[in-house]
Amino acid sequence: MTERAGYTVTMFLVDVSPSTGKLREVDVPLPNGEVQIVEMTNLEWALQYVKLKVQEMIYNGRKTDQCGVILFGTQETSNIVNRKDGGYEHVYEFVPIGTPTAATIAKINSICPAEEIGDPVDALIVGVETQDRYLGNKKTWTRKIVMLTDGENPIELEDWEVAIDKMNDLKIKLTVVSQPSRGIDFDDADFGYKEEDKSTIKRANEEFFHTFVDRLDPDLGIVGNCAFAIEEVSRPEVKQTKSALMANVLRLGDVENHPEEAIEIVVKTSKCTAFARPKSFKKFARLGDEDEDIIMRNTDDDVDELTANYGQLSMQTQYVYDPSGAHEDDDGEVKEEEPEQKKELVEIDKEDLVRGYKYGSSYVPVPDGNFPKLETKKGIEICGFFPEKNLRPELSMGEVHYVWADPASPLQQVAMSSIAEAMYVRLLVAIARWVTKDGAEPKMGILKPETHGTVAYFTWVQMPFADDIRKYTFPSLDKLFNHKGEVVTKHPYIATDEQMSAMDDFVDALDLMDAGEKDEEEDRKPWYDITLSYNPAIHRVKQALFHAAIVQDLNRQPLPPPHPELLKYFNAPRKVVKRARGAIEAARTAFNVKEVPKRVVRGRRDGHVRARDDGDDALLLDKQPNKRIKLSKTQSQVLSRTQADASAKSQQKNVTDDSETEPEDDEQDLLLNQKFKGSSRPSSPTDEDRLPTPSQTPVPNDDGRAPGRIIGTVAPLTDFNKNIAHGDLVTKAVEDLAFVIRTVVLRPFSASRVDEMLECMQALRKVCLEEDEIDAWNEFLPDLRRACLDDDPGNEFFWTKLAALGRSVSLISKSEAAQQGGKSDISDADAEQLYSTFVPSRTVLVN
Amino acid sequence: MASYEDWNRIDDEDDEELQDSSWYEGKKDVILFAIDCSESMHEPRDDPEYEDVKTCHVLRALEAAMQIQKRKVIVGPSDSVGIMMFNTTRRNDATDQGSEIKKGNFVFQAISTINSPKVQELIQLIDTARQEPDFLRETFPPLQGSRVPMGDVFTSCNWIMRDGAPKTATKRVFLITNEDNPHSVPGGDRLLTSARTTLIDLTQAGIVVEPFFISSEEKPFDVSRFYSSVLLPTNLVEDDEEDGTLLPEAVSITRMEDLLSQMRFREVPKRALFSIPFELAENFVIGVKGYGLVTEQKKGSYKYFVDLGDRMEVAESRTVYSYQGGKQVDRSKIVYGMGLGEVVGGDKTEDHVDDQGGVTRTTSANSRVFYTADEMKSFRTLGLEPKIKLLGFKSRKELKFEHNVKHSFFIYPDEMTYSGSKRTFSALLKTMIKKKRIALALALTRRNASPVFCTLVPQAEKSEEGGWNEPAGFHLVPLPYADDMRATPDQCLNAARAPDELKDKARQFVEKLTVKNGSYPPDSYPNPALAFHNAQLEASAFREEFDPENFEDLTLPTYESLHKRAGHLIKDWKQALLEDESATLVVEPPAGSRRKAEFLKSKGEPVAGNKAVLVDRVGSWFDTHI
Repeated sequence: MTERAGYTVTMFLVDVSPSTGKLREVDVPLPNGEVQIVEMTNLEWALQYVKLKVQEMIYNGRKTDQCGVILFGTQETSNIVNRKDGGYEHVYEFVPIGTPTAATIAKINSICPAEEIGDPVDALIVGVETQDRYLGNKKTWTRKIVMLTDGENPIELEDWEVAIDKMNDLKIKLTVVSQPSRGIDFDDADFGYKEEDKSTIKRANEEFFHTFVDRLDPDLGIVGNCAFAIEEVSRPEVKQTKSALMANVLRLGDVENHPEEAIEIVVKTSKCTAFARPKSFKKFARLGDEDEDIIMRNTDDDVDELTANYGQLSMQTQYVYDPSGAHEDDDGEVKEEEPEQKKELVEIDKEDLVRGYKYGSSYVPVPDGNFPKLETKKGIEICGFFPEKNLRPELSMGEVHYVWADPASPLQQVAMSSIAEAMYVRLLVAIARWVTKDGAEPKMGILKPETHGTVAYFTWVQMPFADDIRKYTFPSLDKLFNHKGEVVTKHPYIATDEQMSAMDDFVDALDLMDAGEKDEEEDRKPWYDITLSYNPAIHRVKQALFHAAIVQDLNRQPLPPPHPELLKYFNAPRKVVKRARGAIEAARTAFNVKEVPKRVVRGRRDGHVRARDDGDDALLLDKQPNKRIKLSKTQSQVLSRTQADASAKSQQKNVTDDSETEPEDDEQDLLLNQKFKGSSRPSSPTDEDRLPTPSQTPVPNDDGRAPGRIIGTVAPLTDFNKNIAHGDLVTKAVEDLAFVIRTVVLRPFSASRVDEMLECMQALRKVCLEEDEIDAWNEFLPDLRRACLDDDPGNEFFWTKLAALGRSVSLISKSEAAQQGGKSDISDADAEQLYSTFVPSRTVLVN
Repeated sequence: MASYEDWNRIDDEDDEELQDSSWYEGKKDVILFAIDCSESMHEPRDDPEYEDVKTCHVLRALEAAMQIQKRKVIVGPSDSVGIMMFNTTRRNDATDQGSEIKKGNFVFQAISTINSPKVQELIQLIDTARQEPDFLRETFPPLQGSRVPMGDVFTSCNWIMRDGAPKTATKRVFLITNEDNPHSVPGGDRLLTSARTTLIDLTQAGIVVEPFFISSEEKPFDVSRFYSSVLLPTNLVEDDEEDGTLLPEAVSITRMEDLLSQMRFREVPKRALFSIPFELAENFVIGVKGYGLVTEQKKGSYKYFVDLGDRMEVAESRTVYSYQGGKQVDRSKIVYGMGLGEVVGGDKTEDHVDDQGGVTRTTSANSRVFYTADEMKSFRTLGLEPKIKLLGFKSRKELKFEHNVKHSFFIYPDEMTYSGSKRTFSALLKTMIKKKRIALALALTRRNASPVFCTLVPQAEKSEEGGWNEPAGFHLVPLPYADDMRATPDQCLNAARAPDELKDKARQFVEKLTVKNGSYPPDSYPNPALAFHNAQLEASAFREEFDPENFEDLTLPTYESLHKRAGHLIKDWKQALLEDESATLVVEPPAGSRRKAEFLKSKGEPVAGNKAVLVDRVGSWFDTHI
């Protein structure tokens, strides 16, 4: 009979005789692989095993997984047998049977070696009695007893045969674990441990326990050593979970309108795969320390505190609203971040709320919480069949289910078998719509027939609905065209024949099909076996949880490294890598992939990717069809330089968020960069070859003037000079040029116009000084400074350039103004200081 | 049944893996439709669907815009849409947002978050236009004898975007025109230059132009006449083209009929989920980006509201942590550890249960028994940095249908992080296809994910009908761990098998119902529960009655053709089945209410009711089942 999970009482019988207080050295592995030697008593070491076992019960969280702890060797006596019949002294019922909690662990931590010599057989009889009394007539519960002893003390050999009969009667599983310590360990052939100089007592005791266990019914008893037992506890193991069988109906055809032509087969479904997640950690906080205010407390007070109390936190969800109605703007990102203000929020019960679904900018209230549901009928409806070879693995959306014919009905089994096997021989699969119960939302999926020994069945996987598919477009990898429409066959993006051949060898060399273990026929199997592949996250988290729960200080006993079993598939098998070394090296050389250097510049989020100032010849063929294609030796080098700018942006992004989730427009940015480059190069050979930029070819039709402005962004200086020459709209011209400068400077890609803008700044200042627009300038400059340095996006680069010009573009001071007959509130010192206080805060890309 | 909210809830906020799609909602998308209103766009044409009905390009473009709005409003309710008409004499009123727009352009709908009045306005316009053939020509009168410079169109788009689009949004102009040479007039060169320049301005402002060029037999669209010198090359070379001509006609140039489906491909801006190194071997690394091409589309988001009588106010939810409902604990103060177990019978756990039954752990003041948030993260990643690490190659036969737990990702080379990525990726892809190989890899896609073993399935580039090009790349299919595998139920493993004659009869109807070259067609199956919800949401937003009778569930089998093709074969099979000896093994209807109830339960039928009801139900079960 298979064992039920839970429904178990485990008695731990712990020997605390004085001999268990002997110190031993235990190797404690550190996470970095080093080993630290920690001194602890035999008892402490043995209790680690007890605690790990108890912790496992807590972890599994079953109320019916219970345990009790009985000590022997204590001075006092407290146990039910003694109370009833006397005797059985120095046996102490320490933790009464119950579902363990962290308190149980804490209590186990308080166990110390005692003064008397305890008798294991006495403890065993007390353990059996205590357990039996507790369980009463719960016959189906599993009974386990774990005895931990160093075997150093004499055992009174009486009554033990009676105990054996009783244990066989009750089917008690006994584990005897000896406390390992140099010189006193029981031999354990499996662990490769054979102790040479054991004491006579220990040798006799060992013999006794082996005899004892042999007298138990088969599979009820085991004797082992603690070191091995502890290692086994941390070995990853998967408890095969059986999923519940769910009733359903497999249907083909319209049962209501064509009952004689339609099929219904009664089926049971169960899970074939179920995504397992690491057990979650619970949240704790040091009590009395929840509040931030308390941080302010004088730390000297803490010295008096010898203990810290941590409480397990619980989560509450509150619903609050702002009765003043000043709720937050949905477009929070557009407006400036306001300093958090304490708003008067009112808490409200969830029951009093109405749910509103978002429909565009508005919410549609749904009074009953949800719209009426689509009426559906429970069943797995077959919609049609198609060849298995056309299955697309990438469409499988999740967990796999089994579909079995009703195990109680041979007729249903025969019906299912005939269809499944017909599909199987024809290599067909079925499209099937799955509804778990009446009214449930339908899922589409694929039924694939399987035959396995004595049964024919289906597996089912969910497939996407039209709504679940995203059709993104991607550029072709190898069909590149130049602008004339000619196919490009040689390009850094296209692998050469030589590279293809290197890849061919690479793929062959790294073959895993014969790199695994040998099977029964001595043939090598493929490397990587799913059934032996443990989710490292789950088991590592579990190990960490257990460890923190049983140690008393993580600083003294840090978490050991992961069990090697968890990492065994993390690297390709060594012999394959060795075999492939040549092919790997050849491919590495042939493809010559280079990491594009990361540069810390402000990301595009900040709005500024600088166009490079010098004329790079880099061409990305599929990006720059207007250019003649040059394939030179330096191409790939140039290419990587080109990409540096663009990648820098994504790098910057990656700093804050390790995954790239930006829309795919950086390639365009890149391109634009280059265009700018190409066009601003004075050496562009011909007009056709050149893409005009706004600054270079002002088009009469479009001067970039914003509505109501007399200065455009396209040729601001020309516009400005023209207006100043007319002399009638000076104030307006000054205001507008300031506006244009600010606009252009804060735009993306302004780097190419830095010099132009600096010129504008100088012209503007000159006019301001001469035409008595001094205040306009003195207001504009700090404003621009703020915009460049504080705002996001800013343009620190521009400010750096401006600062380099220094005093000649700084604030207009009193003395300067006076010379021109104007007025200013600014002292010379202040004017001097404007730029000197500026220290570039970030690395700025300067070419 | 559990409400939508229940099964959509994320159990544990630390569990980032579930939140794959959260970024979709995070970023806003803005689309401006720029629709050409010139004479030929207004020209009446036969409706392809209905006889004796006339339509025109402008109407169909507006219909497509309306469809996109209706989908966007649900799929991306925070996204914004606007509509601009060009080559029209209609001017915006002085008070309108578009009053300063260039001549010849008209802002029909300024950019704003989509809302129901906006969609309804468009629907009404379209309805009227369907009934009155001249309505659109009157509403958006075409410019006569000349065309507005494309430079002005782009500039207008720029201004409209500037006024209406949030800074951080993705911004796109869907340009719809059938004129391949708008500036054939003298001076056209100048206009071409201006168009190019203004388009650069547009792109600088982060706006992408997605052209939808309408081609028809009488007016084919030749991109090389004007647009190839204007449009930014990324727009042109983005997509693959089969027959080797310059431009990807299939995507850029479309028949009016395909306009909507072409737009649907571009409805959601392309966003990468991760950008990480792909390590082929030690010191042999390329860059890839990962995309979610298959992701469950859930119902839209909702909020809770308080009815204050005069108005509805949003109720925000917030999660707080406390010990025993006491003071809120600041997040920075939280440490992590093992649950302390349930308190069963408080009297047994003594001093560790305080007065209110809370559970605490006491340690000495200077020791540490809990983990920080960062430590916890490292337990999940096992200290790995995000990357895909190739382990080796296997035969394609190793790919097993039942080895699945999660949806796949699609990866594509990223030349921007490693130069040479494209050639290497492409060579690997082709070699694996040639050798019928799949790859085994270990992947940590994001810093807060857990490592997972994956199969890399190569996909060759392929063009399909309808203009969809299957891109070249790898599908990254996560494999289950041993922890994810469930045991087979013993009681199901011994089952009666059908005799060959019965299998033959089954084979006949199975083959009749087989699509020989078929595959699973996602496009044929819109999610009915989602559509049902959305239809009601839309009706409610439009203040219309929702009629469930008009709702069609496209996922149901097509019964009529099924019975027509295979009905008689199924009947034959049923006959043979009942003659099979296993039929005699059928469990007799059990006697006694309790046994009847058990029987019904085993058939998944209700078990409530008295004995007579149960007897009835057992009887009818045998009537309806085989």
